[in-house]
Amino acid sequence: MLPDRLSMTFSALADPTRRAILARLVSGESSVTELAEPFEMSLPAVSKHLKVLEHAGLIKRGREAQWRPCRLDAGPLKDAAEWLEHYRHFWEQSFDRLADYLDELQAKEEKDGHEDEH
Amino acid sequence: MDTRTSIDADQRERELVITRIFDAPRHLVFQAWTEPDRVARWWGPQGFVTTYWDMDIRPGGTFRVCMRSPEGAEHWKQGIYREVVEPERLVFTFAWEDGEGKPGHQTVVTVTFAEHGDKTELTLHQAVFETVERCEDHRRGWTSTLQRFAEYLASH
Repeated sequence: MLPDRLSMTFSALADPTRRAILARLVSGESSVTELAEPFEMSLPAVSKHLKVLEHAGLIKRGREAQWRPCRLDAGPLKDAAEWLEHYRHFWEQSFDRLADYLDELQAKEEKDGHEDEH
Repeated sequence: MDTRTSIDADQRERELVITRIFDAPRHLVFQAWTEPDRVARWWGPQGFVTTYWDMDIRPGGTFRVCMRSPEGAEHWKQGIYREVVEPERLVFTFAWEDGEGKPGHQTVVTVTFAEHGDKTELTLHQAVFETVERCEDHRRGWTSTLQRFAEYLASH
């Protein structure tokens, strides 16, 4: 588990524009201009979002000065998805145990109740 | 005991939400979450044993708990209670510690307890963002993003 990286992944994902950019990159690499098209925002604003994604390791950018295509690097997303599954598993199993424990508590309460009656 | 668990499709789009009906009255379920010795009895996956617990269950109170896996590995978790509203609601932050006792990514867990006759419907909501405020702002869509990428990864 890589907590710092996870925090970066989740905070990078905590923005609808950045999620839309990532979703777009699923279908292949793309230039900044192409990525900016669906949004009503300036190129610098889009570049700012790309920097956040790049910093979080979610995208990689080409080296060419003019044409710097962005492509997806889904590794951190895989970690994030696994992390969430890990929690689901943790709670589901805890709840199984809680259910058993509540049964036990209730059986005890009933028994104690009967004893009080006598 | 009804141990069925349902996960609402729409809720799954947003973050971790687990609902389960327990065949026990609400006060008992709430106690099992808010009395430290009781919490220690069940909190953790099957086969894990709680070996240390210090829970100050009141708003602003902290907790630190260690659980040991069947293989003997220790896992420490910690957090702060934000809301303790008997018998219906419990909110706390949650983070696993690393090897040096430093908390990792923090989440906010909200547990609600609803009466269903003699039974109790428990809903656990866990948000991945660091504060409730940020979560409320950004809750839509990120899990579905993960879902899409899971599919992407499967096909690459």
